[in-house]
Amino acid sequence: MLARAVPLVLLIVAAVYLTLAVRLPFGTAARPGAGFYPVIVAVFAVVVALAATASAFRGMRSAAVVQLDHASRRRVLISVAALVAFCLALPWVGYPAAAFAFVAVVLRYLGARWTTALITGVLSSAGSYGIFAALLDVPLPRGPW
Amino acid sequence: MGPLEGLAYGFSVALMPTNLFACFVGVLVGTIVGVLPGIGPVGAMALLLPSTFAMHPATALIMLAGIYYGAMYGGSTTSILVNVPGEAGSVVTLLDGYQMTRRGRAGAALTVAAVGSFVAGTVGVIGIMLAAGWLADVAIQFGPPEYFAITLAGLLLLSRLSGGSILNAFVMVALGLALGTVGMDSISALRRFTFGSVQLAQGIELVPVIMGIYGVAEVLLLAEEGIAKTQIAKVKLRELLPTREEWRRSTMPIARGSVVGFLTGLVPGPAAVLSTFISYTLEKKMSKTPEKFGTGMIEGVAGPEASNNGATAGAMVPLLSLGIPFSPATAILLGALVVHGLQPGPLMISQRPEVFWGFVASMYIGNLMLLILNLPLVGLFVSVLRLPQHILATLVLLLCLVGAFSLSNSFLDLWVLVVFGVFGYALRKLSVDPSPLVVALVLGPMMEKTLRQALFLTQGSVIDLVARPLSGTIVFLAAAALFGPPLVRLARSKRFAKPIPRGSSASD
Repeated sequence: MLARAVPLVLLIVAAVYLTLAVRLPFGTAARPGAGFYPVIVAVFAVVVALAATASAFRGMRSAAVVQLDHASRRRVLISVAALVAFCLALPWVGYPAAAFAFVAVVLRYLGARWTTALITGVLSSAGSYGIFAALLDVPLPRGPW
Repeated sequence: MGPLEGLAYGFSVALMPTNLFACFVGVLVGTIVGVLPGIGPVGAMALLLPSTFAMHPATALIMLAGIYYGAMYGGSTTSILVNVPGEAGSVVTLLDGYQMTRRGRAGAALTVAAVGSFVAGTVGVIGIMLAAGWLADVAIQFGPPEYFAITLAGLLLLSRLSGGSILNAFVMVALGLALGTVGMDSISALRRFTFGSVQLAQGIELVPVIMGIYGVAEVLLLAEEGIAKTQIAKVKLRELLPTREEWRRSTMPIARGSVVGFLTGLVPGPAAVLSTFISYTLEKKMSKTPEKFGTGMIEGVAGPEASNNGATAGAMVPLLSLGIPFSPATAILLGALVVHGLQPGPLMISQRPEVFWGFVASMYIGNLMLLILNLPLVGLFVSVLRLPQHILATLVLLLCLVGAFSLSNSFLDLWVLVVFGVFGYALRKLSVDPSPLVVALVLGPMMEKTLRQALFLTQGSVIDLVARPLSGTIVFLAAAALFGPPLVRLARSKRFAKPIPRGSSASD
């Protein structure tokens, strides 16, 4: 599935890119405009993505992807979901809370005990906030509290 | 400044306390990420890049490069003791290295690997001194057509060499080039592909892309396994000394590996990995007992371990003398210099000698530090492997998140990180090498600018562009390297009717 989905998605991206690129001022060969190079890149992208998609659907490269067992797949999906949740929540709940929840949840689902997960969450959230916000002056969002 | 004068000046820069400390931190971090499987030097360099913004450019370069070559030392330790490659450049080492461990010669394997790396590192630095200066002298005559030809040739070669199918590599290049056009057009100031976003007008930053592909994606691979216990062989200090016979057998492989590595490093491609395969094959061919390879031959450790270090040195030459990075690691080094307004290229060696020579001298010092760090203290680094993997993996994810945000305090960078993390993970599952994407993202803007300038110069004639002796030769050589081998194979195989099935190995 993945072996077909990835080239297909990239083909769609390339096609969208091409439609946007042709709207930019192309210029002439002697005075290339802002759209000159993007159009060349876009045509190249569409051609190679099309070829890759075609070969994936003809089954030429269907081998090689190792199927994951249920538990492994769940661990990866939870980690990705936690990353997305962190990015969504950061502006609203602030860095310390988001970092704590992120570390605790991911650790727990990777197989750590609740106590380990919670303690590591507190320490890593406080530690990284201290280093980045206090020492390095990064304006990490603090949240409503 | 001649090489000797320059080197003396360089040592005066590299021996300054700040730079010595930066060098130490770099090689220490490099060794640790080298030892740890799953977290490679590129991810670590991307993570630490923001912390170098406040440093002098020479200091930044010294520290980041230290991570790069330090990882080549550390990677061998895990390969030899655990039978898992610490990083990609040490995959070959485990073939014979782990077999040596099983026969009780782990100490000898570690020592030969470290000494081989040291010799190759030192030979490599001498190579940089000679080659970079010479290449910079040549490159001063280069105009936009030549730079365009070099970037084009580099991307073609990289696609050919990156392993796996060339079609996949081209898709990665196309994607990287397209991403490179997002943002303000440097010539007409027109906003392209920004969808009205102010943040996107600045372009897509390299660092969150790299952190995603080389940091997040690798942690996701670790997450598949959950909690895994590693079995680590124990090494006693007095077992570290190889026998006289082992030394004798390692000498020539180390010498050959150093040269092979440096030369491979000059060519665009995944040099560190590729050089180890070349060196291993070479040693097997030179050996009187090739059938014994894979059973614990010390030659199979000495050669590849020397070559991957030589390759990291060789890769610095195109970066320092042309200003063109051909690998994700050197792309980060370029990023570190550009942030300080420094444009590596033929003029940098003469205009900013403290950066070039300070960096070269620091590589001598760094390699010496690594030899000391990796031999007597090998036990200490091995204990890093006893850290619980799942905790480490989670903390690396958190560091990637906070690191990506801290680059320019932008939420967009966070999303770039996550999207490329997931994308990089998918690529790993499909065995597609993402490095052409990263290199194309860096080279893309350079390629566009030089193409437009060159066409302006030649009044729009593509023929004039390729007909210039220098640019024409470069494009011709690249085309020959790209299409020569498959054509020769096609002619030999005499199966013109059927397409040739593509292998997925790096030796393809």
